[in-house]
Amino acid sequence: MRNLTEAHNRVKDFDWEPSYVEKPNWYPTKYKIPAKTKDPFRHLVRDYLSMEEEKDNRQYGSMEDALARGQASSRAEPRWMEIMKAVLPILNFGEYAAMKSTGQLIETIANAELRQGYLAQMLDEVRHTHQEAYLARYFAKHAADPEGFAQGFKLRGTNLFNRAGRAAFEAFFMGDPIEGALNLQVVAETAYTNPIFVALTEIAASNGDQVTPSVFLSIQSDESRHMANGYSTLAAVVSNPDNLPALQLDFDRAFWRQHAFIDPFVAAVWDYFQTNRTTCYHEKWREWIDVDWIGSYIERLAPFGLKVPSGYAAARERVPWLGHTAAMVAFGAWPLQFWRFDPMTAKDMDWFERKYPGWHGYYGKFWDEYQRRCDPRNGELSLSLFANLPPLCRVCQMPCVFPRIDISTCRIKEFAGKRHAFCSASCELFFDQEPQRYLGYTSFYELFDGYDLADFIVENGLLRADGKTLIAQPWLNEERMWTIDDIRAARYEIRDPLRNQ
Amino acid sequence: MNEIAQTPRDFNYIKPRKRRLSEYEAVSCYTQPDPNVFDRQGWYLLSAEGRAAWRPESTRLQHPHWFDFRDPSGLWQRYYVKLQAEQERSIERNVEDAGIAGILSEFHPVWLNEIIGIHYRVWSFFEYGLFRAFSRAQREALSDTLGNALCFEAVDRIRHAQSTVLYLMELEARVEGFKDHASKDHWLGDPVYQPLRRLVETLMATDDWAEIAFAVNLVIDPIATEVGVSRLIRHHGPAHGDPTTPMIILTTERDRRRNQAWTEELVRMTTAPDLPAAENNRMVIRSWIERWTPLASAAAIAFAPVYNRVPSRSRSIDEDLAVACGTQAKILDDLGIGRNGNG
Repeated sequence: MRNLTEAHNRVKDFDWEPSYVEKPNWYPTKYKIPAKTKDPFRHLVRDYLSMEEEKDNRQYGSMEDALARGQASSRAEPRWMEIMKAVLPILNFGEYAAMKSTGQLIETIANAELRQGYLAQMLDEVRHTHQEAYLARYFAKHAADPEGFAQGFKLRGTNLFNRAGRAAFEAFFMGDPIEGALNLQVVAETAYTNPIFVALTEIAASNGDQVTPSVFLSIQSDESRHMANGYSTLAAVVSNPDNLPALQLDFDRAFWRQHAFIDPFVAAVWDYFQTNRTTCYHEKWREWIDVDWIGSYIERLAPFGLKVPSGYAAARERVPWLGHTAAMVAFGAWPLQFWRFDPMTAKDMDWFERKYPGWHGYYGKFWDEYQRRCDPRNGELSLSLFANLPPLCRVCQMPCVFPRIDISTCRIKEFAGKRHAFCSASCELFFDQEPQRYLGYTSFYELFDGYDLADFIVENGLLRADGKTLIAQPWLNEERMWTIDDIRAARYEIRDPLRNQ
Repeated sequence: MNEIAQTPRDFNYIKPRKRRLSEYEAVSCYTQPDPNVFDRQGWYLLSAEGRAAWRPESTRLQHPHWFDFRDPSGLWQRYYVKLQAEQERSIERNVEDAGIAGILSEFHPVWLNEIIGIHYRVWSFFEYGLFRAFSRAQREALSDTLGNALCFEAVDRIRHAQSTVLYLMELEARVEGFKDHASKDHWLGDPVYQPLRRLVETLMATDDWAEIAFAVNLVIDPIATEVGVSRLIRHHGPAHGDPTTPMIILTTERDRRRNQAWTEELVRMTTAPDLPAAENNRMVIRSWIERWTPLASAAAIAFAPVYNRVPSRSRSIDEDLAVACGTQAKILDDLGIGRNGNG
C-alpha cells in the first residue's frame, strides 16, 4: 500500500540549486516567491495519467459513438452552431498560450509545490488545445454547414474578434511569468471558465448541441486544478509584502485585459446566438463574477493586501451593455467574419427588453434596419449603418465602441508621430505605463486601409468552396446567399477611421 | 444549398504528410499562431524587455516553415496519455506482482543497496533536470508540432523520475532493512555523478530548444543513458535476481526510441538537400555534436566505479561505452551528419 503523503514529499524533493552552470534569467520576474508553500496538486504523474485517460475515453468515446450516430451536431439550432465557428479558434489559442505560460512558470518559479501543479497544467493545456481542435473538425465533418469550421484556425488571424482574443491571451505568457499566472489562472480560469465551460453548455444543450457540453465539461474538470494553481500562486506572492505594490498593478491590468475581451465577446455569444432562450449573460455574470469570484474570493484577500482590481467598478457598470454593442458591431460587419448570423426576431427583442430594460431604446432601431439589409437583392450592406468602421484599441484590439456607441469611452491620442485609439481609460493607462509593449505589430488598418471590401474577402479566404459565395452571411436564408459579386456591387471601402480625423 | 453540399469537410489548409489528413495533424497543426503564416499583424503584446511571443532566433537552425514538422509517432495528447497511462499501469502491476511473489526481496544485496538504491535513484534527478529543460524548450519551439513533441518529452522525463521514486518506496515496503536515502547527497557531491550533473545543468542553461532535443536524444541518451541505465542496470538486472527494474527501464527505452525518432526527423527536415539553409544547419548540428559528445562520454565514463561494484558483471564499462558510442555514431552517419556521413 503506497503512502501517498510520503510519495508526494519525495517527488517534491528533486530540485537543487545548479552549481556548475549559472542559469540564465530567461523570464525575469519582479516577484519574490517563497521556496515552500501549500501544495495545489496532490496527484502523482501516474495517477494524473490514469485519471485523464479515463476522461478522454469517456469524451472521445461518446463523440465517436452515440453522438455521431445520432447526428447530434447536424440537428442543433443553426443559429447556435454558427457562433461555435468563432468560439473554438479563439478558445484554442487561449489553451495554447496557457501551455506556454505554464512552461515559463516551471522554468521561473523555484518552488517544488507550485511546479507540481504547473506540470500537470502544462499537459492539461495540450489536452484542451487538442480537444477544441478535434471538436472544430468534428463539426466540420458533421455540422449542417461546415464552412467556417473547416477554416477557422486559418481565418482567425485577421478576424476582428479573434484578433482581440489573441491579444488578451498573449498576456498569459508575454511578460513577467507571475503576471501571466494572474491573467491565466487567477482571472481567466478562476473568474471566467465557469461561465464559459459550465454555464454556456446549458445554452448549447438547450439549442440541440449535445457535443459541445461533452467536451467543455471535460475541460472544466481540469480547470478546478488550475484555479488551485492560481490560488496557491497568489498566496505565495502575497506572503511577501514586498510583492504587493507590483502585484496590485499587474492584477489591475490582468483583470481589465481579460474583461475587455471576454465579457463583450462571451456576452454576445450568449445572448445573440441562442434560439431556445434560457438565461442571459448578465445574470450569469452577476452569479459567477460578481458574487462568486469577487465576493467569495478576491474580496477575502483584502487582509493580505490585495484589493479588488481598480477597473472592477467600471467593468461592473459596463457589463450590461457590452454584449449588445459587440453583437451590433459583429452583425453589422458580418462580411468580415467567417460565420453566419441569424437576425434578432421580434420574440428575441422582447426577451432582450425583459432581460435588459432599456435595451430597445438603444439597439431596437439597429435591428430593424439590419433586417432590411439581409437580402442581397436590396443591394445595401449593414456596414452602411455605421458612419465608419470603428477604431481598434491599441491595447486590447477591441473596437472602440464600448460600453454603448452613444456613451463610448473611446479616446484617441498621438504617440511617436502616430494616432492611436483606446477603448477605455484603463487601456489608455496601460499604454501610458508601458507604451513599448503595444507597438510591436502592424495594425489592422495599416494592413487593410483603402481595401475594397470584396478584395479583403478574397484575399483573406472568406469565400466558400464555390469561389463566389461568402462564408459569412447576414441571415440563415440558404436560397439567397451573398456572393462576391453582391459585395462588389455594394462598393464598400475599408477605411481607417483615424485617417481623416 | 448546393455549394455547402460540395464543401470539403476537413482542415484543407493543412498539407497532410500522407494521402489523407491524420487526426494528429488536424488537432496539432497551426494551433500556434505565426505572423508568417496566418497572423499577419504580428504580436499584440511584447514583454517589458521587448521580446515577442516567439523568436526566430530561439534556435540556430534555420527553416522557412517549422510547421512542416511531423512527429513520426503521430502522437497527440489523447494517445500520448493513453500510452503513458498504460506504461505506468504495467509498472505498477509488475512491481506489485514481484513484491507478492517475493522477487523484490531476492535481489542481490549489493545490487539492491548500491546499484538500485543509489545509482538508479540518483538517475531520477537527472531525469528531473531534463523535465525542466524540456518544459522550457516546449515554450520556445517555433511550431506546434515541435512544441508538442518537446512537451511530451518533458512529461516522459518527470514520469521516469517519479516512477523511480515510487518503485523505491515499494522496495522499502517489501524488503526488510532497505531504505531510500542519501541519493540527493550523491547527486550533489559524489564524484561519480558530477559530470552527469554538470551535463544536465548545462542543458538546463541552454537557450536553443532544438539543441536541447538534439543533445539529449541523439547524443546523451544514446551514450550516457545507454551506458548508465540500459547497459549497467537493465542488462545486469536478471543476473542479480532482479527482473523488475529492467521492465521499468524498458518503458523509458520505448520513450527514448520515440524521442530519438522525432529528433532524427527534425535533423532530416533541417538538412534536406533542397533547403537553402541545409549547409548552415549541418554546421550548427556538427558544432552541437562537438559540444555534447565529450560531456556525454565524460558522464558515462564516470560510472566506472559503479560498474566495478556490480557483483556479476559480464562486460566492462569500456566495452559498453565503445558499443554505445559506435551505435550513436551510426545514427549520426545515417543522418549524414556523422564523421563518416555523406553530408
